[in-house]
Amino acid sequence: MSKRRIIEWCVFIAPLPLLLVAAYLLPLLGIFRWSFTSPTPGFGNYTQIFTDPAIHGILLRSLRICLVVTVISVMLAYLIAYHWVFGPPWRQRIIEICVLIPFWISVLIRAFGWLIILRPRGLMNEWLMSAGLIGEPLALVRNEVGVVIGMVHFMVPFAIFPLVAVMRQIDPRVMAAARGLGAGPIRRFFEVFLPLSMPGVVGAFFIVFIFALGFFITPAILGGGRVVMIAEYVFLQMSQTANWGLGAALSVVLLIFVSIMMWVLLKVIRVERLVR
Amino acid sequence: MNGNFQKDCFEILKLRLERGEIGRRDFLKGLAMIGALPLALRSGALTAQEKQFVLVNWGGDAIKAFDEAFAKPFAAESGYNVKIDGAGPTEGAIQAQVESGKVSWDVVDADIFSAETLGRKGFLQKIDFNTVKKENILEGGWNDYAVAAYYLSYVLVYDKKKYGDNPPKTWADFFDVEKFPGKRTMYKWMVGNLEAALLADGVAPDKLYPLDVDRAFAKIKAFMPNIVSFWGSGAESQQLMLDGEASMGLLWNTRAKLIDQDTDGDITYSFNEGFLGPSCWAIMAKNPAGPEAANAFIASAQDPQRQIKLLELLGNSPANPKAAPLVPEELKRFDCTQPEFVKVQHQLDQTWYVDHYSATLDKFLTLIST
Repeated sequence: MSKRRIIEWCVFIAPLPLLLVAAYLLPLLGIFRWSFTSPTPGFGNYTQIFTDPAIHGILLRSLRICLVVTVISVMLAYLIAYHWVFGPPWRQRIIEICVLIPFWISVLIRAFGWLIILRPRGLMNEWLMSAGLIGEPLALVRNEVGVVIGMVHFMVPFAIFPLVAVMRQIDPRVMAAARGLGAGPIRRFFEVFLPLSMPGVVGAFFIVFIFALGFFITPAILGGGRVVMIAEYVFLQMSQTANWGLGAALSVVLLIFVSIMMWVLLKVIRVERLVR
Repeated sequence: MNGNFQKDCFEILKLRLERGEIGRRDFLKGLAMIGALPLALRSGALTAQEKQFVLVNWGGDAIKAFDEAFAKPFAAESGYNVKIDGAGPTEGAIQAQVESGKVSWDVVDADIFSAETLGRKGFLQKIDFNTVKKENILEGGWNDYAVAAYYLSYVLVYDKKKYGDNPPKTWADFFDVEKFPGKRTMYKWMVGNLEAALLADGVAPDKLYPLDVDRAFAKIKAFMPNIVSFWGSGAESQQLMLDGEASMGLLWNTRAKLIDQDTDGDITYSFNEGFLGPSCWAIMAKNPAGPEAANAFIASAQDPQRQIKLLELLGNSPANPKAAPLVPEELKRFDCTQPEFVKVQHQLDQTWYVDHYSATLDKFLTLIST
């Protein structure tokens, strides 16, 4: 490397990795250290995670909610993305507005918005009751149903973007060819379009799932105090009960889990590229 | 001369003062010449060199109220520039600050049992009971690391319109949906819930502690379908009651007071069987203003009039027994430390919480989220 290149490297590139090391990697190592040293050195925190049924309950519930949210979000996003890409221009514009504007609204405001709509004397129940469809208010919020609705609303845009990106790349001539060869609409969708859009589905699935695992505010507000998910549990260990070791160990477990998922995601996408 | 120029002159003077190029007297003279004294007062440049004292509480309306009741009088008598930080002194935050070695807080508002836990680990200093007088604290309102700053109570709030002439009076009534139909709300962070469940289950008040956690959990678990929500913040509890989502709730008496006032008594509460506990002052380890200042502050906050001021502003009750008779008549019904109310309430046993809070809270959260 010439001297000039070295200077360029130091001035223009080095600050970024250095910043990442200082602001991200070092604190992360600190968390890693706590998980083994606090309150006493050893594997106590990890043993607790693997043996404590209370923690298992919370982990399982988090995974279940995330899975439900992910499946619903990706399915909804698939429909919306399809219309965004192939719909007539006016429909494309409406979808664009309806996806992007909520996307920029704070998660807190959205959660409270849902609370107002879904609570027993909220808009939804009032409408349903005045229409005579139900006699008693439905329990739409302050339970898992509310959490799922709130989280799906937040996650759908994140699933739409990768799906739209993939659907735009699908060559319309392939569909035309399938029709020319006599495939009906259902067959065209399931045997041609869906397989071609699978990389988008897989990408959307992983993005939403990983994102959902870290969710905190929405379950805290819409869950009525009863839907404690893993992120809130970690927060609780850190701030409420000052049990830093356990909080750190849980974070490490979560980090490893997410890393494995990321690795799988990259693998899948690479495989798809090879196929193409 | 326009304002911008004035501001600029002021900036220059301030810079020179800070660098030590000019003295305070010259600085003031300069200010007077450019007519910028009001600017200087607003910016705090004149007070910047004074000694700082930082009081930390949980934010919101409490910032203004603490300022009025405790900070301003203490600043006036001690010369400290008392700042109130509403950051929320959670156990985690206190621990983090002391471990980082850069302590910027002096006195914090903490739960008495947290203070004991943190104190034993060396994150708080012992209180100097020569300066702070025990006779100015209600019995049980102190330990080595904490002194009651004010009292609060977990009370039964109910919708009077719904229950009419036969209001719920006890926790047994609270858990009885046959006689008192309607949804309930309880406290997400557990305190008071287990006690209420045990009393409702027939445990004698003097046999409450040590809490029979399993029995309380069973009672709450069976009652879960009737609980609309576990509230995590005072504002949330207030909304649940005002919107009629819950017809009965275990709430802080401070919020109960606001609800009572907002609804002209349609939704009200009583202190009967309330759970009384203090919130405390605690001194950070190696606090920047030093232990003398911190203890002096706590002693100054024991003044009955200041505690009554807090009751008036925020609804938090005096921790000094001498305050009770001095409380104005119209405030007495909101004051959970009035002797007649103390008699009908139960004291939370803080020593139980020292040893059991975090482990039991973990289990409680698992219980309510299944």
